[in-house]
Amino acid sequence: MSDNPASIPPIPRVSQALDVSRLPLPPGHMDASPRSNGFWGMAVFLVTDTVIFLLLLVANIYLRRYSQGPAQGALDPGTTVWFSLGLWASSGALVLADVFRKQAKLSGLLYLLTAALGLVFLYGQAQEYLHLNAQGATVDADLFFTGFYTLTGLHGLHVAFGALALLVTGALRFGGHLGRGREGFTAGLGLYWHFVDAVWVALFLLLYVWGGP
Amino acid sequence: MTTAPLPTETAPAPASRPRNFTRWLSTTDHKDIGMMYLALGALFFLIGGVEVLMMRLQLARPGNTLLQATTYNEFFTLHGTTMIFLAVMPILLGFSNYLLPLQIGAKDMAFPRLNAFGFWLTAFGGVILYLSLLEGPPDAGWFAYAPLSERPFSSSLGTDFWAAALLMMGMGTTLTALNIIITTVRYRAVGMGLWKMPLFSWMVFVNSFIIAFALPSLSAALIMLEVDRALGGRFFQGGGSPVLWQHYFWLFGHPEVYIMVLPAWGIISEVIPVFSRKPIFGYKFVAGSTLAIAVLSFAVYAHHMFAVGFARPVNLAFAASTMLIAIPTGIKVTNWVATLWKGSIRLTVPMLYAIAFIVQFTFGGITGVSFAVLPIDWQLTDSYYVVAHFHYVLMGGTLFALLSGLHFYFPKMTGRMLSEGFGKIAFWMITLGFNGVFLVQHALGMMGMPRRVYTYPDLPGWGALNLFSTVSAFVLALGLVLTLINIVISWRLGRIAGDNPWGAWTLEWATTSPPPKGNFVRLPPVKSSRPLWDLAHPEDPDHQRPPRHDQQGHIRPEERNHER
Ligand code: HEM
Ligand SMILES: [Cu+2]
Repeated sequence: MSDNPASIPPIPRVSQALDVSRLPLPPGHMDASPRSNGFWGMAVFLVTDTVIFLLLLVANIYLRRYSQGPAQGALDPGTTVWFSLGLWASSGALVLADVFRKQAKLSGLLYLLTAALGLVFLYGQAQEYLHLNAQGATVDADLFFTGFYTLTGLHGLHVAFGALALLVTGALRFGGHLGRGREGFTAGLGLYWHFVDAVWVALFLLLYVWGGP
Repeated sequence: MTTAPLPTETAPAPASRPRNFTRWLSTTDHKDIGMMYLALGALFFLIGGVEVLMMRLQLARPGNTLLQATTYNEFFTLHGTTMIFLAVMPILLGFSNYLLPLQIGAKDMAFPRLNAFGFWLTAFGGVILYLSLLEGPPDAGWFAYAPLSERPFSSSLGTDFWAAALLMMGMGTTLTALNIIITTVRYRAVGMGLWKMPLFSWMVFVNSFIIAFALPSLSAALIMLEVDRALGGRFFQGGGSPVLWQHYFWLFGHPEVYIMVLPAWGIISEVIPVFSRKPIFGYKFVAGSTLAIAVLSFAVYAHHMFAVGFARPVNLAFAASTMLIAIPTGIKVTNWVATLWKGSIRLTVPMLYAIAFIVQFTFGGITGVSFAVLPIDWQLTDSYYVVAHFHYVLMGGTLFALLSGLHFYFPKMTGRMLSEGFGKIAFWMITLGFNGVFLVQHALGMMGMPRRVYTYPDLPGWGALNLFSTVSAFVLALGLVLTLINIVISWRLGRIAGDNPWGAWTLEWATTSPPPKGNFVRLPPVKSSRPLWDLAHPEDPDHQRPPRHDQQGHIRPEERNHER
C-alpha cells in the first residue's frame, strides 16, 4: 500500500465503535442516481413479490377450470368495489403526502390518513370473508376458493403490514421525529403502498370480474 | 513479469478485536456477518455430515437393519435440506458478504442492518428446522413432492416446520440478494465499470438476480403447500394438481443449483489466475457467459420432470435447452484451462482444490448432459446415477470451490496462514474419499439401484460397491475434520499473513488482513480489472496495453510473447 499515489485522498480511519452505515461513501463512488437506496431496494423487493403473486395467480387460473364446488358467483363485486375504493383513494392521499414531504411541509397527517384508508379496506375484507364463509365458500370447499383466499389473504397481509408502517411513519413525522436521514425509508414505503394498490387492481379484475378460462 | 515474487511478511500481527460476545449479536459489519454465515454453514455442514454417515452406515451392506425405513426418510430429508439451505447457501452467502464490498472498494453493504437481519432469518430458519425433531422430523425429501408432503401422507408437524424454515431462509436470502444488487450498482469504486469488476463479484451480482427470480417461486409453492396442510386447501390434492408442485418447485429448484454453483465459479475464477501468474483468459467470456446461464437456468427447469410424461414437444424443448446450457458452462471450463495453459503454476492448497474442482465438475456436467437424452433419463432417473451426478457437481464442484476459497481467503479474514502440510493431507483425503463415494454410484445406478431406499437386496456387486462407498465416506469425513482442526489451530498459531500473501491483483488485497471497519484507509486508482497490477507495474499497466488483436481479429505478433 505504500506505493499508492499520494493524489488519492485518504478515507478517514474509522473508530471501532462507529456505525459504518453512517460513514460517507468512498470518494467519488459510481452512483449518479437522484433516488435513494431505500427506493431502489424496495423496487427490487417488489419484483420478487410480483413473482409470488403472479405464480399464485397462475395456479388459481389453471385450477379454477376443474372447479366443481360453490361457484365464483358467490362473490359480490358490487360490494367489494366500495371498500376497494378506500384502498385506491389511499394512493391519492399518499401522492399528496409525498408532495408535501418533498416540499418540507407538514405531511404526518396525510400519512396517517393513508393508513386509515388502508384499514377501511381491511375491515371490508374481513366482512367479506365472514359473509363468504357463512355461505359455505370456504378455503377447503373448492379449487377456486383455495386460490382466492390465498391470493386475497396474502394481499391483505401486505396491506396490514403497510398500514402499520404508515401509521408509525405518520406518527413520527407528525411529531417531527423522522429527520432528513430517513427520507429513503419513506420513499420506499410509498413505492410499496402504490404497488399493493396496483396488485389489488389486478386481483379485483381477475378474481371478481373475469369469469375465468 | 517473469518470476513471481512470493509473499514477504512485513505486516504486524493482526490487531486483536474486542472479545465481546454481544458484538456478534449486534454487528452490522459485512465482514462480521460474512464470518457468521461461514460459521453457521460449517456448523450445519457437520450436522448434515453426521446424518449422511448414518445413512451410509445403513447402506453399507444389503438388508441392514440399523435404521428403520421412516427414520431413513427423515434422515435424507434433513440431510438434503440442511446441506442445501443451511450449509452450502450460508457458506456462499458468507463469501459474498465478506468479499463483495472489499472487491468493489466499498465500505460496507448498502443496507448493513438489513444484511444482519438476513443472517438472523437464516439462522432462525435453521433453528426452526431442527425444532421439528420434537414433533417428528419432515420425511418427504428436500423436494417434498405433493401429495407425499400433504397432511394425509406426512401427518406429523415436521413438514410444517420444514416449510416455515424454508420460507424464513428464503426471505433472508432474497433480502441479501437485494442488498448485493444495490451495493454493486451504487457503491463501486471510481473507475470500476461493470466490466472491470473482479469475476467473483460479477458472478455474485448476476447470481443475485437469479435468487430474486427463483426464490419467490419456492415461497409461492410453500405458501400453497401450507394452505393445503393447515387450512385444508386443494392446490395439490382433492382435485388439485400434484404436478403443479413439481413445476413450481423445480422452477425454483433448477435455478437453485446455479445459485449454488455461480459463487463457486467466481472463487475458482479468482484462484486460478493468481496461482497461474496470468490474467484470466477471456475475461469477458467468463463474465458474459454468466448472463446466458442466468437466463437458461430458468428455461431448463422441467428437465427434472421428464418422467412425468409431458407431450413430446415439451420434453424435446427442455432436452434442447438442457443441452444448450452446457455451452456457457463449457466456455467457463475452457477459459479456466486456458488460463492454466503455460502459466507458472504454484500448487498451493487453494490451487489443488481448484484443479480438483475443474476435473470433478466437468465430469458431473457430462453426466448432466447425458440426462438431457430422454431415453437415458427415463432409464436412470431416480437411480443412484442421479445421486452421483448431483454430488459430482454440488460436492465435487461447489464444495471443492468453497474449500479452495476458504484456503485462499483465510489469510485475508484472519491475518494468518493455514498450514500447507496439514492442508495437503486433508486435500488428498477429501479428494480420494469423495471420488470413492460417488464414482461407484454411477455404476450402482446403471445396475438399477433406486435412490431414496433404506435398504436393498443382495444382488451381485451391490453389496461390495456400497461398502466401498461407505468406507470412502468416512475417509472423506476424516479429511473434513482435519480441515476444521487446521482452521482452529492456524487461527491461533498460523504464520502471519500480511496484506497480500498470494500476490493477487484485486482490491480486497489492498487493505490490511483482516481489513479495518470501513475496509479501506485509501483506495488505489482503478483503471483496469487488475488495479494492484497497474500500481506495481506502472511501465506496463493493463489499461495502456493496445488491444491484443489486430483489425482482422488475429493476435498481433508482439502480443504473442507479451509478458503478463
Ligand atoms: C451442464 C450442466 C448440467 C446439466 C446438463 C444438468 C442436468 C441435470 C438433469 C437433466 C437432472 C435431472 C435428472 C433426473 O432427475 O432424472 C439433474 C439433476 C440434478 N442436478 Fe444437474 N445438471 C447440470 C449441472 C448441475 C449443477 C451445476 C448442479 C449443482 C450445483 C446440479 C445439481 C443437480 C441436482 C441437485 C439434481 C437432482 C435433483 C433431485 O432430484 O433432487 N446440476 N441435472
Ligand atoms: Cu436441473
